[in-house]
Amino acid sequence: MQVYEAPLRDMRFVIHELHQDDGFGEIEALSEFTPDLVDAVLEEAAKVATEVLLPLNRSGDIEGCTLENGVVRTPKGFKEAYDMFREGGWCALASDPEWGGQGLPETVNKMTEEMICSANLSFSLYPGLTHGATTAIEGYASDELKQFYLPKMVSGDWSGTMCLTEPHCGTDLGMLRTKAVPQDDGSYLVSGSKIFISAGEHDLTENIVHLVLARLPDAPEGVKGISLFLVPKYLPKEDGTPGPSNGVSVAAIEHKMGLKASATCQLNFDGSTGWLVGKPHKGMEAMFTMMNTERVSVGVQGLGVGEAAYQSAVYYAKERLQGRSLSGVKNPGGPADPIIVHPDVRRMLMIMRANNEGCRALGGWVSRALDAERHASDPEVKQRASDFIALMTPVVKALFTDLGYENANLAVQVYGGHGFISESGVEQYVRDGRIAMIYEGTNGIQALDLVGRKLPAHMGRNLRSFFHPVSRFIEANKADGQFKPMIEGLEKAFGALQLSTATIAQKGMKDPEEAGAAATDYLRLMGLVAMGYCFAKSALIARDRLATGTEDAAFYKAKLATAQFFFDRILPQATTAFLAIKAGKASMMALDEAAF
Amino acid sequence: MSPLSNESAIKKVCVIGAGTMGAGIAAQVANAGVPVLLLDIVPRDGANRNAIAEGAVAKMLKTEPAPFMSKSAAKLVETGNIEDHLDKIAECDWVVEAVIERLDIKQGLYAKIEAVKREGTAVSSNTSTIPLGQLVEGRSDAFRRDFLITHFFNPPRYMRLLEIVTGPETDAGVAAKVERFADVAMGKTVVKANDTPGFIANRIGTYWIQLGLNAAFDMGITVELADAIAGKPMGVPKTGIFGLVDLVGIDLMPHLQASLTSTLAKDDPYHAIARSHPLIEKMIGEGYTGRKGKGGFYRLNKEMGRRKETVDLATGEYRETVRAAGPSGAAGKGDLRKLVETKGKVGEYAWAVLGGTLAYAAGLVPSAAGDVVAIDDAMKLGYNWKAGPFEMIDKLGAAWLAARLEAEGQPVPEILKLAGDRTFYRVENGKRQFLGLDGEYRDIVRPEGVLRLEDIKLASKPLLKNGSAALWDVGDGVVALEFTGKMNALDGDVMKLIVEAIGLVKAQYKALVIYNDADSFSAGANLGLALFALNIAAWSEIEKLVAGGQMAYKGLKYAPFPVVGAPAGLAVGGGCEILLHCDAVQAHAELYTGLVECGVGLIPGWGGNGEMLDRWQNNKMMPKGPMPAVAKVFETVSTASVSRSAAQAKEMLFLRPDDAITMNRDRLLYDAKQKALSLVEGYTPPEPPHFRLPGESGRVALGMAADGFHKQGKATDYDLVVSDALANVLSGGEADLVDTVSEQELLKLERETFMRLVREPRSIARVEHMLETGKPLRN
Repeated sequence: MQVYEAPLRDMRFVIHELHQDDGFGEIEALSEFTPDLVDAVLEEAAKVATEVLLPLNRSGDIEGCTLENGVVRTPKGFKEAYDMFREGGWCALASDPEWGGQGLPETVNKMTEEMICSANLSFSLYPGLTHGATTAIEGYASDELKQFYLPKMVSGDWSGTMCLTEPHCGTDLGMLRTKAVPQDDGSYLVSGSKIFISAGEHDLTENIVHLVLARLPDAPEGVKGISLFLVPKYLPKEDGTPGPSNGVSVAAIEHKMGLKASATCQLNFDGSTGWLVGKPHKGMEAMFTMMNTERVSVGVQGLGVGEAAYQSAVYYAKERLQGRSLSGVKNPGGPADPIIVHPDVRRMLMIMRANNEGCRALGGWVSRALDAERHASDPEVKQRASDFIALMTPVVKALFTDLGYENANLAVQVYGGHGFISESGVEQYVRDGRIAMIYEGTNGIQALDLVGRKLPAHMGRNLRSFFHPVSRFIEANKADGQFKPMIEGLEKAFGALQLSTATIAQKGMKDPEEAGAAATDYLRLMGLVAMGYCFAKSALIARDRLATGTEDAAFYKAKLATAQFFFDRILPQATTAFLAIKAGKASMMALDEAAF
Repeated sequence: MSPLSNESAIKKVCVIGAGTMGAGIAAQVANAGVPVLLLDIVPRDGANRNAIAEGAVAKMLKTEPAPFMSKSAAKLVETGNIEDHLDKIAECDWVVEAVIERLDIKQGLYAKIEAVKREGTAVSSNTSTIPLGQLVEGRSDAFRRDFLITHFFNPPRYMRLLEIVTGPETDAGVAAKVERFADVAMGKTVVKANDTPGFIANRIGTYWIQLGLNAAFDMGITVELADAIAGKPMGVPKTGIFGLVDLVGIDLMPHLQASLTSTLAKDDPYHAIARSHPLIEKMIGEGYTGRKGKGGFYRLNKEMGRRKETVDLATGEYRETVRAAGPSGAAGKGDLRKLVETKGKVGEYAWAVLGGTLAYAAGLVPSAAGDVVAIDDAMKLGYNWKAGPFEMIDKLGAAWLAARLEAEGQPVPEILKLAGDRTFYRVENGKRQFLGLDGEYRDIVRPEGVLRLEDIKLASKPLLKNGSAALWDVGDGVVALEFTGKMNALDGDVMKLIVEAIGLVKAQYKALVIYNDADSFSAGANLGLALFALNIAAWSEIEKLVAGGQMAYKGLKYAPFPVVGAPAGLAVGGGCEILLHCDAVQAHAELYTGLVECGVGLIPGWGGNGEMLDRWQNNKMMPKGPMPAVAKVFETVSTASVSRSAAQAKEMLFLRPDDAITMNRDRLLYDAKQKALSLVEGYTPPEPPHFRLPGESGRVALGMAADGFHKQGKATDYDLVVSDALANVLSGGEADLVDTVSEQELLKLERETFMRLVREPRSIARVEHMLETGKPLRN
């Protein structure tokens, strides 16, 4: 059974307690968002998630989207839910007040995103993509385009898409063929086919604004010849209401493994009128701005799924009575004990719990950086925040979605045979969560981004934003009696990360294939250290709170236990990753292609 | 001071003509420690009859890059005028004429010189255009015996090429005397040229420039693209052709052209390409003569916020400079064949310029130069080409070039036919050989006293080698330690090799020389590596590197054999510290050394502090007490001062007063080796010094001095933090005047202070800024 209640206590811990000393400081521009206000927003978001979106998750999965006569219909209830969502101002939560947004800090916004994704991942894509598209328009479009489109998109009246992929090109966008021909009035006629367009067509909004990558007639070959265009589904009239159809048609919607309530469309642009966003041939830059924002959000999708899977598994583990505890009967009144008494079930539940709390804590840190990058007044802080975001974006995207998927699979395992039956609802998490490891750049691409771009840039400057706080923390707490083994564990994993980093920098310079072979393990290693750092910090805070007395003793005791579990049972994977990195590419690349 | 002053046949020189060239030649003579008389005409107005020569010296004292290597060198220049002081020529062994390029004036001057000079006193002209035969018309046989052409390049201190032209009557002994002085005392590489117009370098260089201009106009390609092709990809300076013309002056071009067209033989290919371009004439007419004028093909438009602009060759108007997409891949990285075979305008332009120039140069042997080596040396040293024309032909393939010329209906130079499918250079039995005019290969013979590591490397294998350093046997029981990393940067591998080398030399050799053939001896510690280590918080690794360097350098200092440093060019930071640990230094005159760590927010960490303290404390010029030496070192190091010459390095005590200086770069290794051998007998390592240091009170005093600079706005906030760390080390930390501080204690203090500083975010920011921009960050 799909069970979900927003983990508000842990979210508040991450927002208010965990990262206060992360060096990004208090941000003056966000001072109006007091803890009370933040908590109120979180509680309201939790209500929307559990009361409006969660009930549509399974029905939406069963019904899916349909295409009839060129019109895509979302599953029953989605339109009403979207209207409620939009009217409640949830679309505009994190957007700039200049365009009608509420300017909520990312530290809060990412938590609301997590809730929405836990409740209904398919639904989350509709407002999510709109948000991504507004980011690119805000950053690169002309003032005229901004004035015209942003208010409508920020409010959620109009939605947005990103049209990148074509039938013959996915990751390698340099090969794309869609054309844009300039017109005398400064607009362009865009023609071509795009596939895998999430929210490409639907019945939730009165208009859809497509951001389309295409080539100008004089474009150089490859990725340096790609420009970005804004192409509305309906050409807006002067008064801003949708006008005539703009030649964008849906050829098909995809039949997918999961995420069935999200319409994934094949779109044809047939001489559709569009406007250039940013400079000619510089479309990739604008697209990457949007993509980087989106990648963190996709990571949060992984966390959202992982949390929902965990809660559903806990629910079942407490309900399901099978066998007796190895340490003696725990439920003498019943025919058997609940399966949560079994160590292996505990193992699974604790892994899921630790994954969620570790990712949430790390996500909270990255969100702080997102806020600092946007609002901090000190340029040094801004720079450090940017460096940290650059470094952690691939980690968040790949680590969170990998772990979310791991959680979903573990949830199925906790359910046993029932988990394999659709009715249980948990197999949907496996199917829905799977895509997050793929889109917005596969997790393999994330790992390459990390070792190939983020690691070597500016002689490792991005690394500093992460390695220095961790190093300082270890040095400051090494002498701590109670947590000595924990800090030493972190120190050991951190040492492995430092050594791996130096090795990759050295070997990868000479032989890029070595860097490529190390990439995925390296990303995991960095993720483990980052989560370990967050857990160690959490443990120290929890101990202090418990020592000074708190009403929330249960929460902090659980936090301590989860942290300890992470250090005992998960962080040792750092050694595995380190050994794999050390082994190099030799055996990985040994076979001739013909031997496969 | 000069290595020659006692034995040389030339003990005093006279330079007549105090223009840029004459004054610069005089300065270089003075740099060699030899007195020089600088004469010019008497100015038409003004009371001071020596005003022109005096003005030239005064101007040189302010010129950058400086013509003089030291202030004391400037004092060796005696100024005068040719009306009152020409008789002083009788005191001189060599007279260099560097007056205006007019035959009548030169001839008139020679008549006057002949009247006062001693027999056997060499007279040479610095002419770049007038044939020797015309210059000596009307002069006596005796004068003709003493006469030759010495063609220096601008600026004379820094350009290594000297073309020497002798006439049929020039006395071999006189020519040899001048040649030896120019080589050993003035540090020039002498290339013998025949008495043909433009000699070698300018003849080829002018042809190359003309081809480049013509082709750009004819093919309609932009200035930026032209320079992106005929620049780095060809192995010539990245200024390219238009940039070079801007530098030397666009108005010089018509003069060169007129001179060459009037003097070159009728059938010389130059006549076919010598053209004037209306745009260039217009630019000269309007004062756009290059960097010295209102602008050239490039300019900075200050009215447009220092916008970089370039002339559009089609319209003649300035427009914003656009970075050109030059040759890519191997074609952009020195593969000449790929470059000229690149499709489209890039390849066409490259071929037009390079193919034409190489064919022309190949036609100049033996008419302008005796062999291919002279041609190549002239272009490498006179125009800073990485490879000479024949070395470039080897890259293209002589047979390939001949075939292509033939296919295009162009004449194939005889020497290309002679080479056939052979190369002009080869290595045989570890010796570099060149193709002679008889079609036989012969060894390239270095002059007596010239030893090049590149020759040794061809003929032998390294004794030790790793990624950053190598050790070579340079003969007679001496080994040379060579740095091999990028910019000869120093890292853990270098230190490792030093330790191994010490063991090897102790067991099997007599002495160690630290030397490399590169332009820069060493830029110091590998900052890129250090920054990466800083960024990943690898503190223990950094401390290991610091301690390892201290140990290796002290190992050199106390090794039971002599260690001689032989630096040339840049030797800063750790590259300076290693020299401070040598028993003696044989330095090239062009030595730019100093402890520059403060510039990147650090302090010397490889023992440099103690070595400098020791030198200044034992300097007899210093007042008594511990403080003066500490203050002196503090001043030098906190300001990251770098010497502008070896002579200046002595003043700063980066070199000891008795360290030796070699003027000619090619002679450095040989001289260093001799120096090392001279120290072998009875060698005993130095005793470790003990320091008497002022401690806290000294640190406070130094801090007050630094505060003064801060108040004047000369030091930034963070400079104070860095200089305080330096002051902490130099004053001995917790030391007390009544105690002595051992060398090891000082090293520990240096290391700890360094490690504290290296963690400071603002130090890291400085290191990062230096690596990214090449400039210090003043945070």
